[in-house]
Amino acid sequence: MAEEESQFEEFEQIDFLGDRHVRFFQRTLQVLPERYASLETTRLTIIFFALSGLDVLDALDVIDRNTMIEWIYSLQVLPTEDQANLSRCGFRGSSHIGIPYSTKGPGVLHPYDSGHVAMTYTGLCSLLILGDDLSRVNKQACLAGLRALQLEDGSFYAVPEGSENDIRFIYCAASICYILDDWSGMDIQKAIEYIRGSLSYDSGFGQGAGRESHGGWTYCAIASLCLMGRLEEALSQRELDRIRRWCIMRQQSGFHGRPNKPVDTCYSFWVGATLELLDVFQYTNFDKNRRFILSTQDRLVGGFAKWPDSHPGTCSDSLRLLDIGDRAPRVTGTRQERNNEAKHAVLTTPRKYY
Amino acid sequence: MCLSSRDRKEWADLEPVPQDDGPNPVVKIAYSDKFSDVYDYFRALLKNDERSDRAFALTAEAIELNAANYTVWHYRRVLLQALSKDLREEMRYITAIIEEQPKNYQVWHHRRMVVEWLNDPSEELEFIADILSQDAKNYHAWQQRQWVIQEYKLWDNELEFVESLLEEDVRNNSAWNQRHFVISHITGFSDPAIVEREIQYCLIQIKKAPHNESAWNYLKGMLQDQGLSSPPGLLERVLELKETHCSPYLLAFLFDCYEDVLENSNKKENMSEGDRRETLGKALEICQLLAQEKDTIRKEYWRFLGRSLKNKCSGPSDPLINSLLGLFMNTEFNFMSD
Repeated sequence: MAEEESQFEEFEQIDFLGDRHVRFFQRTLQVLPERYASLETTRLTIIFFALSGLDVLDALDVIDRNTMIEWIYSLQVLPTEDQANLSRCGFRGSSHIGIPYSTKGPGVLHPYDSGHVAMTYTGLCSLLILGDDLSRVNKQACLAGLRALQLEDGSFYAVPEGSENDIRFIYCAASICYILDDWSGMDIQKAIEYIRGSLSYDSGFGQGAGRESHGGWTYCAIASLCLMGRLEEALSQRELDRIRRWCIMRQQSGFHGRPNKPVDTCYSFWVGATLELLDVFQYTNFDKNRRFILSTQDRLVGGFAKWPDSHPGTCSDSLRLLDIGDRAPRVTGTRQERNNEAKHAVLTTPRKYY
Repeated sequence: MCLSSRDRKEWADLEPVPQDDGPNPVVKIAYSDKFSDVYDYFRALLKNDERSDRAFALTAEAIELNAANYTVWHYRRVLLQALSKDLREEMRYITAIIEEQPKNYQVWHHRRMVVEWLNDPSEELEFIADILSQDAKNYHAWQQRQWVIQEYKLWDNELEFVESLLEEDVRNNSAWNQRHFVISHITGFSDPAIVEREIQYCLIQIKKAPHNESAWNYLKGMLQDQGLSSPPGLLERVLELKETHCSPYLLAFLFDCYEDVLENSNKKENMSEGDRRETLGKALEICQLLAQEKDTIRKEYWRFLGRSLKNKCSGPSDPLINSLLGLFMNTEFNFMSD
């Protein structure tokens, strides 16, 4: 009897609570309490995480696509009549500046209104998930806004008024160009130089030259090169093999982001996705990774936490879902097919990363 | 208790601007009246691009409610310059905020801007050391530290600082990274005396804490371009350590050494066929040891590496290598085609 009970317990421990996660994402899309105030300027990325999660769970029917599409378009920074603000176009993270709600142009003149590169990226992805054809996106304005953000060293600012600049925003820029199918938004060669410059002595990538290698920035580097179609041009076979080694050494049970740091569920995505892009995810231990991720589920409210027995985050839950859902071993398919799958994988940057 | 901004006479001329999410808001954050009040006036000031002391004071209130709002920080910087505010006081202000919220991107960026305007980095190393004393791996702190050292050429005492952190925690990967950063900028790694000194340093740290990926990554990173097998006697020293201070990282290093030997023998043709097969055999044994015993979580990867090396080095019909490979694949038939 005792043995049966413990077997049942074990089964219960590792079951995947799909319905709870659907409800978690639904609630996220509705109202968040004030203690989430720090997410105000990045609300569009929250939508993206929630939609990605619902998409993976095949549960997009629980939301009203059209109202959501309208809301996203209201965040587009459109050119003014005289087009003087072209270099500031893109998507906002939210209505925090106070522009009156509008889904149509022309843009409103405002001394401080501009897009944010991560919001333009997640805005476009969200529209795609919702089935929108991007016909109301002013592509030329987005690309002009993007060009204004790139520095001489190849990295990008997040916003035209200036911010920190690093590899995260190269990834956002590459994603935008890829989605809009127009690489006039960036100088690819300079971006590649910055990426190469960020390769550390230990063969992970830092946020910029000299900085400590990290799973998130390694993902940004490799994914950007894949989106550009320049992976094997930018990095030699020897370098790629060393990068594979760095990444695969991140697995402890789940994955951590840097040597000698604790595991965190989000790195199952950042590092896992990088390994998949490099064709070696198949050599990781799926079972240990899966068990770790499932152990972080919040059985009551849904969602996943960074670690077991802590609170679910709002941002990275879709990452963890992706990791479980998409990580069936794939030994069939050509390299190109797998690359395309990985490119279409839903990607995100948790709030703390910008 | 403060009156809300709406009740104060000094704000009477300004029409507050609420957020407008339209008829169907998504991910709406439920703000208290106090929060909305501050930000409704913030939006009004922003719209008029007002440059005044009351605006400056309000940015501090807005920051207290949400220090991640980058627009508030940008507007504050505009006001700092427009009103010629005391930047030393601003340094004190931003110091206090970073102490409370050390993992926020906006606050560190703001500090960097103020340091640049003052052109005075004199507080930085001590301040960052204090933040690192609370979290020795804070990525923002290390980034700021690298920036200020490089920008203002503050290299002199940094190696000493790194060593003190490694004394506290020899597994601090950020400190190892900083070690590499400092040495590569001061002397570089081409001087054999420097390389030998660093090899010694690594081996001592490895003996103290063998299961430390950071030390091994540093050693390998420093040597890999010139060739892991090139420093005289290193392979032998590592083989000795294997007996008493083994780890998956040591074994991986050995594998990489053997691979390096084989690659060089390809180019220079100075190795007998027998020696090549022996080296390959040793490399494959390491893969087997890692896969079966020392690093089983990565067993599929070590098997893959073994197969790849074998394919690179020997013909498919070499019976000795095939039998080694057979042993190492055992009977699980996990062979996955490449």
